[in-house]
Amino acid sequence: MFEILEHTADIGFRARGKTAAELFQNAALAMLTIAGDLSRVVPRQEYPLAAAGEDYESLLVNWLSEILYWTDGRRIAFGEFRISQIDPTRVSGVARGEPREPERHPARVIVKAVTYHQLKVVRTEEGWEAEVYLDI
Amino acid sequence: MLLSDMQLHAIDAYRHRIPRDERLGMRTDVLVFASAGLLEQIRRDQALQQAVNVANLPGIVGPSLAMPDIHQGYGFPIGGVAATDYEHGVVSPGGVGFDINCGVRLVRTDLTAADVRPRLKQLVDQMFRDVPCGTGGSGFVPIGEKQLDDVLQQGVKWMVDHDYGERRDAEFAEAGGALEEADPDSVSPRAKQRGLPQLGTLGSGNHFLEVQWVDEIHDREAARVMGLETGRVVVLIHSGSRGLGHQVCTDYLARMNPAMKKYEIALPDRQLACVPIQSPEGQAYLGAMRAAANFAWANRQAILHFLRGAVRKVFGGQVRLDLIYDVAHNIAKREKYVVDGVKRAVLVHRKGATRAFPPGHREIPQEYRSTGQPVFIPGSMGTASWVLAGAEGAMQESFGSVCHGAGRLMSRTAVKKGRDARQVQKQLEERGILVRSETRDGIVEEAPEAYKDVDEVIEVVHNAGLARKVARLRPLGVIKG
Repeated sequence: MFEILEHTADIGFRARGKTAAELFQNAALAMLTIAGDLSRVVPRQEYPLAAAGEDYESLLVNWLSEILYWTDGRRIAFGEFRISQIDPTRVSGVARGEPREPERHPARVIVKAVTYHQLKVVRTEEGWEAEVYLDI
Repeated sequence: MLLSDMQLHAIDAYRHRIPRDERLGMRTDVLVFASAGLLEQIRRDQALQQAVNVANLPGIVGPSLAMPDIHQGYGFPIGGVAATDYEHGVVSPGGVGFDINCGVRLVRTDLTAADVRPRLKQLVDQMFRDVPCGTGGSGFVPIGEKQLDDVLQQGVKWMVDHDYGERRDAEFAEAGGALEEADPDSVSPRAKQRGLPQLGTLGSGNHFLEVQWVDEIHDREAARVMGLETGRVVVLIHSGSRGLGHQVCTDYLARMNPAMKKYEIALPDRQLACVPIQSPEGQAYLGAMRAAANFAWANRQAILHFLRGAVRKVFGGQVRLDLIYDVAHNIAKREKYVVDGVKRAVLVHRKGATRAFPPGHREIPQEYRSTGQPVFIPGSMGTASWVLAGAEGAMQESFGSVCHGAGRLMSRTAVKKGRDARQVQKQLEERGILVRSETRDGIVEEAPEAYKDVDEVIEVVHNAGLARKVARLRPLGVIKG
């Protein structure tokens, strides 16, 4: 689903999907797996999420930034993502999760932000692939 | 063009130049402050390529600068400095970074290493309890939205007025602990929402709180003025603007990418996004960045307040903890420099670089006018940190700037191979250094081997005349975020 990429100061990941929607779902799970432990999240509530962009690259940065805002600003622990609509300028869908509790959802690391550093969203023979670096 | 093909000319033992090359879009040279040994390490990642990209910025004044602790960042290298013309140049949020006004403050205690060692465990555990990392709980400085706007404008002063500090604390911070012309209205509700519950927390990554003792004095007079003598215990606080600053940078990067088309700016890296300083977008970012910087100063002030409480619980209420100084290392500031014989107003972007004003400069506290501004350079966990004093060379050559740390050498994933947190913790304990961390990966990712040799970095800035060595500090206990 995803693999970790090296960066001197921070960390990145490469995510894949058969479709753009699956890629964006997997990228969200990759970021949250770097930040904490997804297996401990009970997906008992639904949160509608959306983001806009100029192209798939900026759309992916803005989508992940939206999730980060909900994680850090609204203190929600997400476990699942289901994207219902996506084109190069807009993505929307539903996330499932629950309010964060420090004991049950310990942070592995605090992700500060999603960057444009060596950002890539490409079509491959199998589908879609993206590379994203996070500031931690 | 590959980095290996790039021409890197040695000027002397501590300076190297990459000459302007129009094929790379460069508007100016890159000047690298490094020894041959450090340069070898620097060339292993993309840091110099990023310094070349920075030389592309419209309105850049003087060279794109690389400090000896430089390593690969996002857009800008970490350890990079760039000045842009204040009237006709650009501002780049990437030149400040996501952690706006990440910085360090050094606190002098009236304890000695001999006083602290027998109760070190008790002290470190108390600090770990009283100074929140912010990964778990929140609301350690309980304020509302209206008060947050006051914090964003007043920085340290607001904290001191509300009993989170002592009167003299504001005086001993860069810019008095608050930048003028901060604009809370340019900070998005989302940024405020992220920041509000996080005031007074360390954060994770490379942020820390370290109990240290002075083990070498290099400049007796400057050390005396700063109240440092061999054996004296000090505490170094490293933190920034938390989620508030991160969101400000995220918000403005999203705004600037489309705006660049309007201003017909094209750059080799999207993370370098920039707009004219005098444009509405540029002014809004600067207002928000200054507000986030003030939040960071308030945050380090709250941490100092919690630290004072913890130390006094262990060593008694009479113990003094006096702020020596507080310096930012991710910031953009309007300053004036003589460039090619003409005095010019510039916006100095310091991305992982510290201001280092020389003796006599008007913007440093009266106490330090004879010695130069105190500069603190943390080394890696378990090695050494340095106290420096700004020198005249920085005004001539580096827009009043020096390095900010040892500089990373290994990635976070690479350092974890073959190491675990318990092992790193044990090795440090064998050397008398106690470590506590709230995040599982915090300790191992910051293992000493992940960094360059801080002493070698300091040699470069000292010998290049950017700052003078004052004292070296050794760690006793570390709280990691």
